[in-house]
Amino acid sequence: MTVAPDLLARLDMLQARYLDALDSKNMPGWLDCFSTAAAAAYVCTALENYERNLPVALMLDDCRARLEDRVTYITEIWKGTFQDYRTRHFVQRLEATAQADGVIAMRSNVSVLYTPEDTGGSEVLAIGSYYDKVCFATGEPLFLAKSAVLDTRVLPRYLVYPL
Amino acid sequence: MSSGIVPPVRWPARVNELPKEVFVREDVFEEELVRIYYGEEWHAVAHEGELPNPGDFKTFAVGRVPLLIARGNDGTVRVFFNACSHRGNQIETASLGNKREFECPYHRWLFDANGRLAGCPNEREFSPGFARADYPLRQPRTASFLGLIFVTFSARTPSLEDWMEEIAPTLADVMLGDGRLQLIGYQKVRYKTNWKAYCDNDGYHAPLLHRAFRLLNWQGGKGRQFATRGRGHIGFESALSLASDTSLLHDPSIIAFKGTDPSKGSRVIEMFPMFVATKHLDVVNLRFSIAPGVDETEVHYAYFAHADDDADMVRHRVRQSSNLLGPCGLISMEDASIFHRVHIGNRTPGTVAFQKGVKDFTAMAHEVLQNDETGNLPRWEHYRALMGFDRVPA
Repeated sequence: MTVAPDLLARLDMLQARYLDALDSKNMPGWLDCFSTAAAAAYVCTALENYERNLPVALMLDDCRARLEDRVTYITEIWKGTFQDYRTRHFVQRLEATAQADGVIAMRSNVSVLYTPEDTGGSEVLAIGSYYDKVCFATGEPLFLAKSAVLDTRVLPRYLVYPL
Repeated sequence: MSSGIVPPVRWPARVNELPKEVFVREDVFEEELVRIYYGEEWHAVAHEGELPNPGDFKTFAVGRVPLLIARGNDGTVRVFFNACSHRGNQIETASLGNKREFECPYHRWLFDANGRLAGCPNEREFSPGFARADYPLRQPRTASFLGLIFVTFSARTPSLEDWMEEIAPTLADVMLGDGRLQLIGYQKVRYKTNWKAYCDNDGYHAPLLHRAFRLLNWQGGKGRQFATRGRGHIGFESALSLASDTSLLHDPSIIAFKGTDPSKGSRVIEMFPMFVATKHLDVVNLRFSIAPGVDETEVHYAYFAHADDDADMVRHRVRQSSNLLGPCGLISMEDASIFHRVHIGNRTPGTVAFQKGVKDFTAMAHEVLQNDETGNLPRWEHYRALMGFDRVPA
């Protein structure tokens, strides 16, 4: 089922809010893009795994509790140990389809460039697809599930922040 | 044989000191390829559990030498050089896949999954006496231990059993005793670090670098750290300790133990030159790694379940493996960060010195405390001798 233009605009605003939170390292803001449902999920994995039904991911936050823990990892546990870097996410929506249950399934291209604090040179961090499920339980669009599936099979570095 | 590298590497007299230049010199790396990676050592390249079905393959490398590892139609896993037996063209480009035949596109020579040459166009016009049987895909020497496959490029390397020295029981524990493993996925990353910095982690850093241990009141388990006599393969064997305060986490399943034998709950091995494997809580992780250059180390973290696991246990291993010990893991992302930062610091002049547990500047212990950093020293001594770097007089 096609999605009306005004609804598409709201989906894009949610996506922009998500990207802006990550690019400004605002982890509570990242968490606020997800539904408060216990089943809310974020997965980041390589296409190599995804295509072969190999379920291990780079980040597997398959419930709201793990999304909350992801924020703790970054803001408390890992604080002061890593070489920090700034990301810029570029996303292009390719399709959005309304499901019978009112959830919208959305697929986008995503590329993430990054600039490490210490070298200052910008490089590609990862490219791939977003597979999103957006719900409207409270009226506002929120991610019920977001999967970043990366063409990038071998990352150029470790990841601190979700993509 | 003494190294011919100029200017010579000046190796300190004290056994706890290392010259930083060995981490960053291109000429040292080129010599390491010859003496270590293409020399008389074994290198772990795959586990049979990664390739469960006939025709399953993966590509890999040792140093800069490309390999193709395939389960044949007869069920046997073989390691081939990833090059056509004719003119040497790269045979397979995919990282993983399933094929019953491998075709070289250059002259359409065709090989079956057992590596035999099955077809070659215009064969009647070939050199006198040409026989297909003489042109299978070429294979390095291989050996395996509980499904873990090793290769060596030297005929003089001792048998795998002898080469492993006393590390075999610990490695068996990592692979859940019998090595009947099934792949559940990969995490792959290319670190900007030298291979020796990648596998030089020690027992001293864990409670200090990894704040999660302190925040979760997660004490180190009781156990031993040892280094084998000879190559200095390192083993950590610990009973499992569990975090006593998980209130920091909303989902403590990330650090739950559902296995049956906590005495075998934690194992880490670091085998010379750079194979690391770990079993911690219910994560089984074999880290297949490649040293393509002095400044780069590519690591394929392969995660496994056991063949007899039920669906719940597999799910638990998947959820724990994804978030605990890899390049983005709760208690390992910081290690990845250190790999990069140590490599940058190693470009400064001088030496570094191990301290924790050092009692003697002239002799090394092979059985040390779990949180000592002296367990790495026998392996460094093997490296030094193999590379022909002479110690400067004290």
